[in-house]
Amino acid sequence: MIKFEKVFKKYPGEMDALQDINLEISSGELVFVTGPSGAGKSTLLKLISAVEKPTNGSIIFENTNLSELRNKDMPFLRRKFGMIFQDHKLLYDRNCFENVVLPLEINDINPTDSARRVRAALNKVGLLNKEKMNPITLSGGEQQRLAIARAIVSRPSILIADEPTGNLDKGYADEIMNIFYSFQQVGVTVIVSCHELPKSPIKFKQIHLNKGQISNSDSHVPLLS
Amino acid sequence: MMFIIIGITLCLPSAGYLIVENVRQISTKIQHEAEISIFLKKDISQDQIDFIDSALKSSPEITKIHFEPKLVAWEKLQSKLKLSTLDIGISENPLPHGFFITLNTLSKEKINRLTEDLKLINGIDNIVIDGSWIKKLRAIIYMIKVGLLSLGSLLVIVLIVIISNTIRLQTLTYQNEILVSKLIGATNSFIHRPFIYTGLIYGLGGGVITVSILKGMVIAFNNLAERYEYILGNTIVLVGLSATDYLIILLSAMLIGLFSSFFSARQSIKKLENLY
Repeated sequence: MIKFEKVFKKYPGEMDALQDINLEISSGELVFVTGPSGAGKSTLLKLISAVEKPTNGSIIFENTNLSELRNKDMPFLRRKFGMIFQDHKLLYDRNCFENVVLPLEINDINPTDSARRVRAALNKVGLLNKEKMNPITLSGGEQQRLAIARAIVSRPSILIADEPTGNLDKGYADEIMNIFYSFQQVGVTVIVSCHELPKSPIKFKQIHLNKGQISNSDSHVPLLS
Repeated sequence: MMFIIIGITLCLPSAGYLIVENVRQISTKIQHEAEISIFLKKDISQDQIDFIDSALKSSPEITKIHFEPKLVAWEKLQSKLKLSTLDIGISENPLPHGFFITLNTLSKEKINRLTEDLKLINGIDNIVIDGSWIKKLRAIIYMIKVGLLSLGSLLVIVLIVIISNTIRLQTLTYQNEILVSKLIGATNSFIHRPFIYTGLIYGLGGGVITVSILKGMVIAFNNLAERYEYILGNTIVLVGLSATDYLIILLSAMLIGLFSSFFSARQSIKKLENLY
Protein backbone atom coordinates (compact mmCIF):
# COMPACT_ATOMS: atom_id res chain seq x y z
CA MET A 1 0.00 0.00 0.00
CA ILE A 2 2.79 2.42 0.98
CA LYS A 3 6.34 1.83 -0.13
CA PHE A 4 9.44 3.94 0.58
CA GLU A 5 12.43 3.37 -1.70
CA LYS A 6 15.73 5.04 -0.81
CA VAL A 7 13.96 8.08 0.55
CA PHE A 8 15.95 11.08 1.75
CA LYS A 9 14.53 14.29 3.19
CA LYS A 10 16.67 17.34 3.81
CA TYR A 11 15.42 20.74 4.94
CA PRO A 12 17.32 23.79 3.65
CA GLY A 13 20.31 24.60 5.86
CA GLU A 14 19.82 21.52 8.04
CA MET A 15 21.12 17.96 8.23
CA ASP A 16 19.20 15.14 6.57
CA ALA A 17 15.95 14.64 8.50
CA LEU A 18 15.62 11.21 6.91
CA GLN A 19 18.28 9.12 5.22
CA ASP A 20 17.93 6.12 2.97
CA ILE A 21 14.51 5.04 4.21
CA ASN A 22 13.16 1.80 2.78
CA LEU A 23 9.92 0.44 4.15
CA GLU A 24 6.61 -1.07 3.20
CA ILE A 25 3.26 -0.76 4.95
CA SER A 26 0.46 -3.08 3.90
CA SER A 27 -3.22 -2.31 3.89
CA GLY A 28 -4.92 -2.77 7.30
CA GLU A 29 -1.68 -2.84 9.28
CA LEU A 30 -1.14 -1.19 12.66
CA VAL A 31 2.25 0.54 12.58
CA PHE A 32 4.06 2.29 15.39
CA VAL A 33 6.78 4.74 14.37
CA THR A 34 8.98 5.08 17.43
CA GLY A 35 12.16 6.95 18.29
CA PRO A 36 13.51 9.83 20.34
CA SER A 37 12.77 13.50 19.63
CA GLY A 38 14.37 14.67 16.38
CA ALA A 39 14.62 11.12 15.05
CA GLY A 40 12.47 12.03 12.01
CA LYS A 41 9.11 10.54 13.05
CA SER A 42 7.06 13.63 12.13
CA THR A 43 8.94 14.03 8.86
CA LEU A 44 8.20 10.42 7.97
CA LEU A 45 4.47 10.95 8.64
CA LYS A 46 4.47 14.19 6.60
CA LEU A 47 6.00 12.31 3.68
CA ILE A 48 3.43 9.52 3.95
CA SER A 49 0.55 11.98 4.04
CA ALA A 50 1.92 14.04 1.11
CA VAL A 51 2.26 17.15 3.24
CA GLU A 52 5.89 17.24 2.07
CA LYS A 53 7.83 15.74 -0.81
CA PRO A 54 11.05 13.78 -0.43
CA THR A 55 14.38 15.31 -1.49
CA ASN A 56 15.39 12.01 -3.08
CA GLY A 57 13.89 8.57 -3.57
CA SER A 58 10.32 7.55 -4.23
CA ILE A 59 7.22 7.02 -2.15
CA ILE A 60 4.61 4.83 -3.77
CA PHE A 61 1.05 4.99 -2.49
CA GLU A 62 -1.54 2.87 -4.28
CA ASN A 63 0.57 2.87 -7.47
CA THR A 64 1.07 6.64 -7.33
CA ASN A 65 4.57 8.00 -6.93
CA LEU A 66 4.10 10.84 -4.46
CA SER A 67 7.41 12.43 -5.51
CA GLU A 68 6.03 12.98 -9.00
CA LEU A 69 2.63 14.18 -7.84
CA ARG A 70 1.68 17.63 -9.10
CA ASN A 71 1.00 20.24 -6.41
CA LYS A 72 -2.59 20.67 -7.56
CA ASP A 73 -3.24 16.93 -7.08
CA MET A 74 -1.84 16.86 -3.53
CA PRO A 75 -5.08 17.98 -1.78
CA PHE A 76 -7.05 15.15 -3.39
CA LEU A 77 -4.49 12.62 -2.18
CA ARG A 78 -4.51 14.08 1.35
CA ARG A 79 -8.25 13.44 1.52
CA LYS A 80 -7.50 9.72 1.58
CA PHE A 81 -5.71 10.15 4.92
CA GLY A 82 -7.13 10.92 8.33
CA MET A 83 -4.60 13.13 10.11
CA ILE A 84 -4.30 13.47 13.89
CA PHE A 85 -1.78 15.84 15.40
CA GLN A 86 -0.19 16.03 18.86
CA ASP A 87 -1.51 19.61 19.28
CA HIS A 88 -4.93 18.54 17.88
CA LYS A 89 -5.06 21.51 15.47
CA LEU A 90 -8.68 22.13 16.41
CA LEU A 91 -10.40 25.39 15.49
CA TYR A 92 -11.44 27.19 18.65
CA ASP A 93 -13.74 29.63 16.90
CA ARG A 94 -16.01 26.71 15.92
CA ASN A 95 -17.93 24.22 18.04
CA CYS A 96 -17.24 20.48 18.07
CA PHE A 97 -19.74 19.72 15.30
CA GLU A 98 -18.28 22.45 13.06
CA ASN A 99 -14.75 21.15 13.64
CA VAL A 100 -15.68 17.63 12.61
CA VAL A 101 -17.72 18.68 9.59
CA LEU A 102 -14.77 20.56 8.00
CA PRO A 103 -13.37 17.58 5.96
CA LEU A 104 -16.88 16.90 4.63
CA GLU A 105 -17.26 20.54 3.56
CA ILE A 106 -13.94 20.19 1.75
CA ASN A 107 -15.22 17.02 0.09
CA ASP A 108 -18.43 18.84 -0.88
CA ILE A 109 -20.72 16.33 0.89
CA ASN A 110 -24.33 17.47 1.15
CA PRO A 111 -25.38 18.91 4.55
CA THR A 112 -27.84 16.14 5.44
CA ASP A 113 -25.29 13.38 4.89
CA SER A 114 -22.64 15.48 6.60
CA ALA A 115 -24.72 15.94 9.75
CA ARG A 116 -25.40 12.22 9.94
CA ARG A 117 -21.74 11.31 9.45
CA VAL A 118 -20.49 13.91 11.93
CA ARG A 119 -22.84 12.59 14.63
CA ALA A 120 -21.73 9.02 13.88
CA ALA A 121 -18.07 10.04 14.22
CA LEU A 122 -18.73 11.97 17.45
CA ASN A 123 -20.64 8.97 18.79
CA LYS A 124 -17.72 6.68 17.93
CA VAL A 125 -15.35 8.77 20.08
CA GLY A 126 -17.95 9.33 22.82
CA LEU A 127 -18.52 13.05 22.26
CA LEU A 128 -22.01 13.06 20.77
CA ASN A 129 -23.43 14.92 23.77
CA LYS A 130 -20.82 17.69 23.33
CA GLU A 131 -21.38 18.57 19.67
CA LYS A 132 -22.46 22.15 20.44
CA MET A 133 -19.61 22.84 22.84
CA ASN A 134 -16.49 24.79 22.01
CA PRO A 135 -13.41 22.50 21.94
CA ILE A 136 -11.60 24.81 24.35
CA THR A 137 -13.98 23.67 27.11
CA LEU A 138 -13.00 20.01 26.61
CA SER A 139 -10.25 18.15 28.45
CA GLY A 140 -7.01 17.22 26.65
CA GLY A 141 -8.21 13.66 26.07
CA GLU A 142 -11.57 14.85 24.76
CA GLN A 143 -9.88 17.31 22.41
CA GLN A 144 -7.75 14.50 21.02
CA ARG A 145 -10.86 12.33 20.61
CA LEU A 146 -12.49 15.23 18.77
CA ALA A 147 -9.45 15.41 16.49
CA ILE A 148 -9.88 11.67 15.85
CA ALA A 149 -13.56 12.22 15.01
CA ARG A 150 -12.51 14.86 12.46
CA ALA A 151 -9.95 12.44 11.01
CA ILE A 152 -12.39 9.52 10.63
CA VAL A 153 -15.48 11.41 9.47
CA SER A 154 -14.44 11.28 5.82
CA ARG A 155 -13.87 7.50 6.15
CA PRO A 156 -10.18 7.47 5.21
CA SER A 157 -8.37 4.27 4.38
CA ILE A 158 -5.36 5.34 6.45
CA LEU A 159 -5.22 7.02 9.85
CA ILE A 160 -2.00 8.87 10.58
CA ALA A 161 -1.44 10.11 14.11
CA ASP A 162 1.60 12.15 15.09
CA GLU A 163 2.27 11.57 18.80
CA PRO A 164 -1.44 11.62 19.64
CA THR A 165 -0.89 10.75 23.29
CA GLY A 166 2.19 12.93 23.85
CA ASN A 167 0.41 15.45 26.06
CA LEU A 168 -2.00 13.08 27.78
CA ASP A 169 -1.84 11.17 31.04
CA LYS A 170 -1.93 7.36 30.95
CA GLY A 171 -5.69 6.96 31.34
CA TYR A 172 -6.49 9.26 28.44
CA ALA A 173 -3.62 7.82 26.38
CA ASP A 174 -4.99 4.29 26.74
CA GLU A 175 -8.44 5.54 25.75
CA ILE A 176 -7.02 7.09 22.56
CA MET A 177 -4.97 4.00 21.70
CA ASN A 178 -8.04 1.78 22.14
CA ILE A 179 -9.85 3.89 19.53
CA PHE A 180 -6.97 3.30 17.08
CA TYR A 181 -7.02 -0.44 17.76
CA SER A 182 -10.75 -0.54 17.04
CA PHE A 183 -10.19 1.15 13.66
CA GLN A 184 -7.42 -1.29 12.77
CA GLN A 185 -9.82 -4.12 13.56
CA VAL A 186 -12.21 -2.90 10.83
CA GLY A 187 -9.51 -2.77 8.17
CA VAL A 188 -8.19 0.78 8.46
CA THR A 189 -4.42 1.16 8.17
CA VAL A 190 -3.26 2.95 11.33
CA ILE A 191 0.14 4.63 11.56
CA VAL A 192 0.99 6.12 14.94
CA SER A 193 4.19 7.86 15.95
CA CYS A 194 5.22 7.80 19.62
CA HIS A 195 8.33 8.03 21.79
CA GLU A 196 7.83 4.64 23.35
CA LEU A 197 6.11 1.53 22.11
CA PRO A 198 2.66 1.19 23.70
CA LYS A 199 1.45 -2.17 24.99
CA SER A 200 -0.69 -3.19 22.08
CA PRO A 201 -3.12 -6.09 22.48
CA ILE A 202 -3.03 -6.72 18.74
CA LYS A 203 -0.40 -7.52 16.15
CA PHE A 204 1.58 -4.54 14.97
CA LYS A 205 4.64 -3.43 13.06
CA GLN A 206 7.29 -1.19 14.62
CA ILE A 207 9.46 1.23 12.66
CA HIS A 208 12.13 2.54 14.97
CA LEU A 209 13.91 5.69 13.83
CA ASN A 210 17.15 7.11 15.13
CA LYS A 211 18.89 10.18 13.72
CA GLY A 212 16.86 9.98 10.54
CA GLN A 213 17.55 6.35 9.84
CA ILE A 214 15.60 3.16 10.46
CA SER A 215 17.21 1.30 13.32
CA ASN A 216 17.14 -2.46 13.10
CA SER A 217 17.16 -2.99 16.88
CA ASP A 218 13.61 -4.37 16.82
CA SER A 219 14.30 -7.44 14.78
CA HIS A 220 10.76 -8.80 14.93
CA VAL A 221 9.45 -5.92 12.78
CA PRO A 222 9.31 -6.95 9.16
CA LEU A 223 11.06 -4.19 7.20
CA LEU A 224 12.17 -3.84 3.63
CA SER A 225 15.91 -3.68 3.87
CA MET B 1 -16.39 50.62 7.40
CA MET B 2 -14.84 49.10 4.29
CA PHE B 3 -18.04 49.81 2.35
CA ILE B 4 -17.82 53.49 3.27
CA ILE B 5 -14.12 53.72 2.34
CA ILE B 6 -14.74 52.11 -1.06
CA GLY B 7 -17.95 54.10 -1.59
CA ILE B 8 -16.39 57.48 -0.89
CA THR B 9 -13.17 56.71 -2.78
CA LEU B 10 -15.14 55.73 -5.88
CA CYS B 11 -17.45 58.67 -5.40
CA LEU B 12 -14.72 61.25 -6.05
CA PRO B 13 -14.03 60.41 -9.72
CA SER B 14 -17.68 59.43 -10.30
CA ALA B 15 -18.96 62.77 -9.02
CA GLY B 16 -16.39 64.53 -11.21
CA TYR B 17 -17.63 62.50 -14.16
CA LEU B 18 -21.25 63.39 -13.32
CA ILE B 19 -20.45 67.11 -13.34
CA VAL B 20 -18.35 66.93 -16.50
CA GLU B 21 -21.09 64.95 -18.26
CA ASN B 22 -23.64 67.62 -17.36
CA VAL B 23 -21.38 70.46 -18.58
CA ARG B 24 -20.62 68.51 -21.75
CA GLN B 25 -24.31 67.96 -22.46
CA ILE B 26 -25.03 71.65 -21.93
CA SER B 27 -22.11 72.65 -24.16
CA THR B 28 -23.23 70.27 -26.89
CA LYS B 29 -26.71 71.72 -26.73
CA ILE B 30 -25.37 75.27 -26.92
CA GLN B 31 -23.00 74.38 -29.70
CA HIS B 32 -25.84 73.06 -31.81
CA GLU B 33 -27.50 76.42 -31.37
CA ALA B 34 -24.32 78.43 -32.00
CA GLU B 35 -24.53 81.20 -34.51
CA ILE B 36 -22.28 83.03 -36.85
CA SER B 37 -22.99 86.73 -36.89
CA ILE B 38 -22.42 88.48 -40.23
CA PHE B 39 -22.31 92.27 -40.02
CA LEU B 40 -22.81 94.14 -43.27
CA LYS B 41 -21.22 97.36 -44.47
CA LYS B 42 -23.14 100.49 -43.54
CA ASP B 43 -23.54 101.71 -47.13
CA ILE B 44 -24.82 98.37 -48.43
CA SER B 45 -27.62 98.35 -50.96
CA GLN B 46 -30.79 96.24 -50.83
CA ASP B 47 -29.63 94.31 -53.93
CA GLN B 48 -26.45 93.33 -52.16
CA ILE B 49 -28.45 92.26 -49.09
CA ASP B 50 -30.66 90.10 -51.31
CA PHE B 51 -27.58 88.62 -52.97
CA ILE B 52 -26.01 87.75 -49.61
CA ASP B 53 -29.34 86.26 -48.45
CA SER B 54 -29.53 84.00 -51.51
CA ALA B 55 -25.87 83.07 -51.14
CA LEU B 56 -26.47 82.03 -47.54
CA LYS B 57 -29.58 80.07 -48.52
CA SER B 58 -27.57 78.09 -51.07
CA SER B 59 -25.00 77.00 -48.51
CA PRO B 60 -25.62 73.39 -47.32
CA GLU B 61 -24.02 74.02 -43.90
CA ILE B 62 -26.55 76.69 -42.94
CA THR B 63 -29.80 75.55 -41.39
CA LYS B 64 -31.29 78.81 -40.18
CA ILE B 65 -30.93 82.37 -41.43
CA HIS B 66 -32.18 85.39 -39.55
CA PHE B 67 -31.77 88.86 -40.96
CA GLU B 68 -31.90 91.76 -38.55
CA PRO B 69 -32.12 95.23 -40.09
CA LYS B 70 -30.00 97.87 -38.39
CA LEU B 71 -33.09 99.78 -37.24
CA VAL B 72 -34.51 96.81 -35.41
CA ALA B 73 -31.13 96.13 -33.83
CA TRP B 74 -30.88 99.74 -32.71
CA GLU B 75 -34.36 99.67 -31.16
CA LYS B 76 -33.58 96.42 -29.37
CA LEU B 77 -30.38 97.86 -27.95
CA GLN B 78 -32.11 100.96 -26.75
CA SER B 79 -34.89 99.07 -25.08
CA LYS B 80 -32.42 96.68 -23.48
CA LEU B 81 -30.33 99.53 -22.08
CA LYS B 82 -33.47 101.58 -21.36
CA LEU B 83 -31.90 104.60 -23.03
CA SER B 84 -33.02 107.07 -25.65
CA THR B 85 -30.83 108.68 -28.30
CA LEU B 86 -30.92 111.90 -26.33
CA ASP B 87 -29.51 110.25 -23.22
CA ILE B 88 -26.40 109.02 -24.96
CA GLY B 89 -26.07 111.89 -27.41
CA ILE B 90 -26.08 109.75 -30.53
CA SER B 91 -28.44 110.93 -33.20
CA GLU B 92 -27.50 108.43 -35.91
CA ASN B 93 -27.92 104.64 -35.69
CA PRO B 94 -24.36 103.22 -35.32
CA LEU B 95 -25.35 99.60 -35.87
CA PRO B 96 -25.07 97.73 -39.19
CA HIS B 97 -27.50 95.27 -40.77
CA GLY B 98 -26.79 91.73 -39.63
CA PHE B 99 -27.39 88.12 -40.65
CA PHE B 100 -27.42 85.56 -37.84
CA ILE B 101 -27.00 82.05 -39.16
CA THR B 102 -27.11 78.64 -37.48
CA LEU B 103 -24.91 75.83 -38.80
CA ASN B 104 -25.54 72.12 -39.00
CA THR B 105 -21.86 71.28 -38.56
CA LEU B 106 -19.36 71.50 -35.74
CA SER B 107 -16.36 70.86 -38.00
CA LYS B 108 -13.72 73.52 -37.58
CA GLU B 109 -12.59 73.12 -41.21
CA LYS B 110 -16.10 73.54 -42.65
CA ILE B 111 -16.81 76.59 -40.50
CA ASN B 112 -13.47 78.17 -41.52
CA ARG B 113 -14.13 77.44 -45.19
CA LEU B 114 -17.60 78.99 -44.95
CA THR B 115 -16.33 82.14 -43.25
CA GLU B 116 -13.53 82.48 -45.85
CA ASP B 117 -16.13 82.20 -48.66
CA LEU B 118 -18.40 84.72 -46.97
CA LYS B 119 -15.57 87.21 -46.56
CA LEU B 120 -15.21 87.25 -50.36
CA ILE B 121 -18.78 88.51 -50.85
CA ASN B 122 -18.99 92.21 -51.44
CA GLY B 123 -20.89 94.07 -48.71
CA ILE B 124 -19.88 91.89 -45.76
CA ASP B 125 -17.93 93.88 -43.20
CA ASN B 126 -17.26 91.49 -40.34
CA ILE B 127 -17.94 87.85 -39.38
CA VAL B 128 -18.04 86.73 -35.74
CA ILE B 129 -18.17 83.05 -34.82
CA ASP B 130 -20.18 83.05 -31.64
CA GLY B 131 -19.38 79.43 -30.76
CA SER B 132 -15.63 79.80 -30.37
CA TRP B 133 -15.87 79.94 -26.58
CA ILE B 134 -17.69 76.63 -26.61
CA LYS B 135 -14.69 75.07 -28.32
CA LYS B 136 -12.55 76.34 -25.50
CA LEU B 137 -15.03 74.93 -23.02
CA ARG B 138 -14.92 71.61 -24.83
CA ALA B 139 -11.15 71.58 -24.67
CA ILE B 140 -11.31 72.32 -20.94
CA ILE B 141 -13.86 69.54 -20.45
CA TYR B 142 -11.58 67.16 -22.32
CA MET B 143 -8.65 68.13 -20.12
CA ILE B 144 -10.77 67.70 -16.99
CA LYS B 145 -11.84 64.27 -18.26
CA VAL B 146 -8.20 63.24 -18.69
CA GLY B 147 -7.48 64.58 -15.20
CA LEU B 148 -10.43 62.64 -13.79
CA LEU B 149 -9.25 59.48 -15.53
CA SER B 150 -5.81 59.87 -13.95
CA LEU B 151 -7.36 60.59 -10.55
CA GLY B 152 -9.71 57.62 -10.99
CA SER B 153 -6.79 55.32 -11.85
CA LEU B 154 -4.89 56.46 -8.78
CA LEU B 155 -7.92 55.94 -6.57
CA VAL B 156 -8.44 52.45 -8.03
CA ILE B 157 -4.85 51.63 -7.06
CA VAL B 158 -5.55 53.00 -3.57
CA LEU B 159 -8.65 50.79 -3.35
CA ILE B 160 -6.73 47.72 -4.51
CA VAL B 161 -4.10 48.36 -1.83
CA ILE B 162 -6.75 48.87 0.89
CA ILE B 163 -8.79 45.79 -0.03
CA SER B 164 -5.66 43.64 -0.51
CA ASN B 165 -4.36 44.66 2.88
CA THR B 166 -7.70 43.92 4.55
CA ILE B 167 -7.84 40.48 2.94
CA ARG B 168 -4.21 39.83 3.92
CA LEU B 169 -5.08 40.62 7.54
CA GLN B 170 -8.09 38.31 7.29
CA THR B 171 -5.92 35.45 6.04
CA LEU B 172 -3.70 36.01 9.10
CA THR B 173 -6.79 35.94 11.35
CA TYR B 174 -7.87 32.64 9.79
CA GLN B 175 -4.33 31.27 9.60
CA ASN B 176 -5.12 28.17 11.71
CA GLU B 177 -8.23 27.39 9.71
CA ILE B 178 -6.32 27.72 6.44
CA LEU B 179 -3.46 25.50 7.64
CA VAL B 180 -5.78 22.81 9.01
CA SER B 181 -7.90 22.89 5.86
CA LYS B 182 -4.81 22.47 3.69
CA LEU B 183 -3.59 19.58 5.81
CA ILE B 184 -6.87 17.72 5.47
CA GLY B 185 -7.09 18.16 1.72
CA ALA B 186 -8.62 21.53 0.90
CA THR B 187 -7.79 22.82 -2.58
CA ASN B 188 -6.56 26.37 -3.08
CA SER B 189 -9.86 27.37 -4.68
CA PHE B 190 -11.76 26.10 -1.61
CA ILE B 191 -9.54 28.21 0.65
CA HIS B 192 -9.61 31.30 -1.63
CA ARG B 193 -13.41 31.20 -1.99
CA PRO B 194 -14.49 32.96 1.23
CA PHE B 195 -11.89 35.69 0.74
CA ILE B 196 -13.00 36.25 -2.85
CA TYR B 197 -16.64 36.45 -1.72
CA THR B 198 -15.58 38.97 0.92
CA GLY B 199 -13.84 41.08 -1.75
CA LEU B 200 -16.89 40.87 -3.99
CA ILE B 201 -19.20 41.92 -1.14
CA TYR B 202 -16.86 44.82 -0.28
CA GLY B 203 -16.99 45.93 -3.92
CA LEU B 204 -20.77 45.55 -4.14
CA GLY B 205 -21.36 47.41 -0.86
CA GLY B 206 -18.93 50.17 -1.84
CA GLY B 207 -20.52 50.43 -5.29
CA VAL B 208 -24.02 50.71 -3.81
CA ILE B 209 -22.81 53.49 -1.51
CA THR B 210 -21.20 55.34 -4.46
CA VAL B 211 -24.40 55.09 -6.53
CA SER B 212 -26.49 56.21 -3.53
CA ILE B 213 -24.22 59.21 -2.88
CA LEU B 214 -24.34 60.24 -6.56
CA LYS B 215 -28.12 59.94 -6.71
CA GLY B 216 -28.41 61.85 -3.42
CA MET B 217 -26.12 64.57 -4.77
CA VAL B 218 -28.28 65.01 -7.87
CA ILE B 219 -31.50 65.21 -5.83
CA ALA B 220 -29.99 67.61 -3.27
CA PHE B 221 -28.50 69.86 -5.97
CA ASN B 222 -31.74 70.02 -7.96
CA ASN B 223 -33.76 70.84 -4.84
CA LEU B 224 -31.31 73.61 -4.02
CA ALA B 225 -31.34 74.94 -7.58
CA GLU B 226 -35.13 74.97 -7.56
CA ARG B 227 -35.15 76.95 -4.31
CA TYR B 228 -32.80 79.59 -5.71
CA GLU B 229 -34.44 79.72 -9.12
CA TYR B 230 -35.76 83.25 -8.46
CA ILE B 231 -32.20 84.50 -7.84
CA LEU B 232 -30.56 82.65 -10.69
CA GLY B 233 -33.39 83.54 -13.06
CA ASN B 234 -33.22 80.10 -14.58
CA THR B 235 -33.50 76.52 -13.38
CA ILE B 236 -30.22 74.62 -13.49
CA VAL B 237 -31.00 70.90 -13.57
CA LEU B 238 -28.26 68.41 -12.79
CA VAL B 239 -28.96 65.27 -14.80
CA GLY B 240 -28.01 62.01 -13.08
CA LEU B 241 -25.89 59.38 -14.77
CA SER B 242 -27.59 56.77 -16.92
CA ALA B 243 -28.55 53.33 -15.59
CA THR B 244 -25.68 51.90 -17.66
CA ASP B 245 -23.22 54.29 -16.00
CA TYR B 246 -24.45 53.31 -12.56
CA LEU B 247 -24.19 49.64 -13.52
CA ILE B 248 -20.63 50.20 -14.75
CA ILE B 249 -19.72 51.84 -11.41
CA LEU B 250 -21.24 48.90 -9.53
CA LEU B 251 -19.51 46.26 -11.69
CA SER B 252 -16.19 48.12 -11.56
CA ALA B 253 -16.35 48.23 -7.77
CA MET B 254 -17.11 44.48 -7.67
CA LEU B 255 -14.28 43.72 -10.09
CA ILE B 256 -11.84 45.78 -8.03
CA GLY B 257 -12.96 43.84 -4.92
CA LEU B 258 -12.72 40.52 -6.74
CA PHE B 259 -9.24 40.98 -8.21
CA SER B 260 -7.76 42.58 -5.09
CA SER B 261 -9.04 39.82 -2.84
CA PHE B 262 -8.06 37.03 -5.23
CA PHE B 263 -4.46 38.15 -5.65
CA SER B 264 -4.07 39.10 -2.00
CA ALA B 265 -5.50 35.77 -0.76
CA ARG B 266 -3.32 33.83 -3.20
CA GLN B 267 -0.15 35.62 -2.10
CA SER B 268 -0.91 35.38 1.61
CA ILE B 269 -1.89 31.71 1.49
CA LYS B 270 1.27 30.90 -0.47
CA LYS B 271 3.30 32.42 2.37
CA LEU B 272 1.32 30.44 4.96
CA GLU B 273 2.23 27.17 3.22
CA ASN B 274 5.72 27.47 4.68
CA LEU B 275 4.27 27.21 8.20
CA TYR B 276 3.24 23.52 8.05
